[in-house]
Amino acid sequence: MNEHGHEEWKQQLVKCIRCGTCRSVCPVFKEENNENTTARGKVQLLEGVLEGAVKLTPTLQERFNKCLLCKACVKGCPSGVRTDTLFLSARLTNANKNSLPLAKRLAFKGLTFRKLFDTGLRIGSVMQNVVMKKSDDGRGNQARFNIPGSGLDLRRIIPPLAAKPLRDIVPEKTTVTNPKGRAVFFPGCMLNYIYPEAGKAVVNILKRNNWDVTIPTDLSCCGTPAFTSGDQATGRELAAANLKALAGDYDVVITACASCGAALKNEYGEILQNESDHNAWQKLSKKVLDISEFVVKYGDPALFGALPMKVTYHDACHLVRGMDVSKQPRQVFATVPELDFRNMKDADVCCGAGGTFSMAYYNLSRRINDHKLDNAEATGASCLVTGCSACRMHITDGLSQRNSNMRVMHTAEIIDMAYQNGEKQKKGGKQV
Amino acid sequence: MNQAVLSKLKAIVGENHILTEFEDRYCYSFDSTFINSMPDLVIQPGSRDEIAAICRIAYANDIPVVTRGAATGLSGGAVPVKGGIVIETTRLNKVLEVNTSNFYAIVEPGTITQDYLAAVDKAGLFYPPDPASSKMSTIGGNIAECAGGPHGVKYGITRDYVLGLEVVLPDGSIVQTGNLIDGDMSGPDWTMLYCGSEGTLGVITKIMLKLTHKPQAKQTMMATFSAIEDAATTVSTMMASGVIPTTLEIMDNMTIRAVENFLNIGLPIEAGAILLIEVDGDPQAVEKHVQHVLKVCNDCNASSVKVAKTAQEADGLWKARRSVSPACGKLNPTKISEDATVPRSRIPEMVSAVQAIAKKYNLKMVIFGHAGDGNLHPNILSNKHDKEEMARVEKAVEELFQVALKLGGTLSGEHGIGYLKAPFLVWETGEEGFKFGKDVKQAVDPKSLMNPGKMFDYHDDKAV
Repeated sequence: MNEHGHEEWKQQLVKCIRCGTCRSVCPVFKEENNENTTARGKVQLLEGVLEGAVKLTPTLQERFNKCLLCKACVKGCPSGVRTDTLFLSARLTNANKNSLPLAKRLAFKGLTFRKLFDTGLRIGSVMQNVVMKKSDDGRGNQARFNIPGSGLDLRRIIPPLAAKPLRDIVPEKTTVTNPKGRAVFFPGCMLNYIYPEAGKAVVNILKRNNWDVTIPTDLSCCGTPAFTSGDQATGRELAAANLKALAGDYDVVITACASCGAALKNEYGEILQNESDHNAWQKLSKKVLDISEFVVKYGDPALFGALPMKVTYHDACHLVRGMDVSKQPRQVFATVPELDFRNMKDADVCCGAGGTFSMAYYNLSRRINDHKLDNAEATGASCLVTGCSACRMHITDGLSQRNSNMRVMHTAEIIDMAYQNGEKQKKGGKQV
Repeated sequence: MNQAVLSKLKAIVGENHILTEFEDRYCYSFDSTFINSMPDLVIQPGSRDEIAAICRIAYANDIPVVTRGAATGLSGGAVPVKGGIVIETTRLNKVLEVNTSNFYAIVEPGTITQDYLAAVDKAGLFYPPDPASSKMSTIGGNIAECAGGPHGVKYGITRDYVLGLEVVLPDGSIVQTGNLIDGDMSGPDWTMLYCGSEGTLGVITKIMLKLTHKPQAKQTMMATFSAIEDAATTVSTMMASGVIPTTLEIMDNMTIRAVENFLNIGLPIEAGAILLIEVDGDPQAVEKHVQHVLKVCNDCNASSVKVAKTAQEADGLWKARRSVSPACGKLNPTKISEDATVPRSRIPEMVSAVQAIAKKYNLKMVIFGHAGDGNLHPNILSNKHDKEEMARVEKAVEELFQVALKLGGTLSGEHGIGYLKAPFLVWETGEEGFKFGKDVKQAVDPKSLMNPGKMFDYHDDKAV
């Protein structure tokens, strides 16, 4: 949906019967208790915009920014109003009118210069200690001082940039003999620069199931931060670049990041305009699989070894509602021997990260996160597993803030560990 | 609003609990109906005393006060049609007590109905009224609009469970009505005056509710009829025969088709109507009631009756009913939900009348209501942007009201009068009854500041 799609707005807006069901599902509303955060409130504001009663003011822009884009309202809406695409479109319209903050504009533009972006983050990896210091519990870094435009709260603990990005650890092409298929892996920025070990686990999983893996060098950021903030031009540019990089004779496109996956599988369809890009996307979309989907569909359960851990699982919004992935990781956990999986209450409720939301509204996102942590801790699990690095980062920060010992791991890491144990057992078995 | 008043109000509740920005007030200009009107100010007080202080200032300065909870009402009751201050009660959201020896609960008005139901359930007791909006509506709103729900057939509606209230009057004084023992008090039943008063007589700040035992067992059934008239006769026969189901819901052919189209669960799309019937009680009584229900359905030409064998099967039967709203939303976007209600014995006549009106005005009208208490919930599926059609809708609604009243019914089974039905209230009360209502309002709220423009304070000038 684009800015000029006012007819599309109308079609969606008229469906809202203002029943207020969104009040019962919106994590932001539950904290703020204010109708201006509900989906129906924002839908009415957009009706007002169409009627001319509401102007595209910076205040209005702020109201639309205060949304996690967690899609809980879309899922809960009895009338099927596509509030997610509506609100993205509203952000775009507002951004075109009021423009985005300079820091955001520069950052998004930077994403389109892939090599520059890559070099910047590599330099950042070396230089990060100038502005960041290690947190007391050693789990991550905290800003030494307020960094203008960074949106980084001084209390916030974020993981450091990895010393070596994923691409330096694993080759562009990993080949096996007699491959069962060819996978192309889209690691996305967070697995590449911050959590390369989780990215490596994905490659291991594919390799172990006897698939060829390619990580094309010219992949860019998926574009989610840009197009969800209203910078659709940058989002489109990045999408087109990625479609080109991913075009090849691959059987599956593997993602291990909720937002990248949802973008490749669904959201590119909303932002791409020209026909050839759209056609290319449709072909690609059908092949996109989250790594947990891959394991359920193509993985060999006999490879799993015992993994005696107590784990719980957090459904990332863009996995459960963006890619319809929630059964698959649980199916995998149920298959791994000795893995003690404990479902938490409200597992599919947003953790409060919401991308740039947690920068703009750190306190609010912390409060939302606290409910998640309470529910996770109530299960008695020692490790929280999730399929999204942004959730992982936010949840880890929350656990540090409350001095909890709970670990946070990526789904792929758990699967890879179970495979490793399987191999050890097999070897051990031979020895006996 | 003048600055002196504004700073006084800010001093009462604190800056954070007052909304003055245009964009925020805009979000408080509506409820679940299709009308809008802007408040001058939105206040979210945190206590009874703050509410009393707000009312005192409003009274001294002649400012209208509109109280709301979640604003999920269906009659325009929470829309500030004359502007003024909107008081949102949702910060008063505590279940103060659930008393298991004396079977009562004390609740703050902004408590979400579902949260209250969960607290009662946890204590092992039962509060029957179950409006469809219970996930988001507040208990204060339930009382102010006198909400009903599917359980109403057997257990009655909100009014039947209110023992007492604490109310802030228009001038800021505080009174308590009823008591925790039997709800009775010396003098007339003032509590009843506030049930369904829609914020026109003061602000409810504390609520005492009666509780009952949880039913030990229940059984869900679905009866299919080739003619809706037979389903309607089944309802009136069943209610007259002495076995009162917990729930007796009707779905007509258009609803069945819409739901089947939406869910694909094998509903009988050729059927004229379906009845969803639930009985509860102790296990032996339930078994007897099931046999009775089967007999009545068969006597009234049901083509089949399905009895759920497991809780899962029961849930499957309910799924169809729960999906009616989204399914109808696919047919036409604007759903105008009416709740004109007739005596149970007149249901067959009401069904024919609804069908005739739909035909006359060429409108898509579906019936899926709590037939057991005479509330058929005729819903008109329309498009609010189609001005010509909306004009026909308006005429059809008027005619619906007339028919219901002619059959000895009422304008509202559970949605309240609010703003949308206020123009027709006099049809039900008569001139003298209407004057009596106005006199009561005048006596309690002499300056007409409490939710003005609603119910007995209606004047013929439409909200924007």
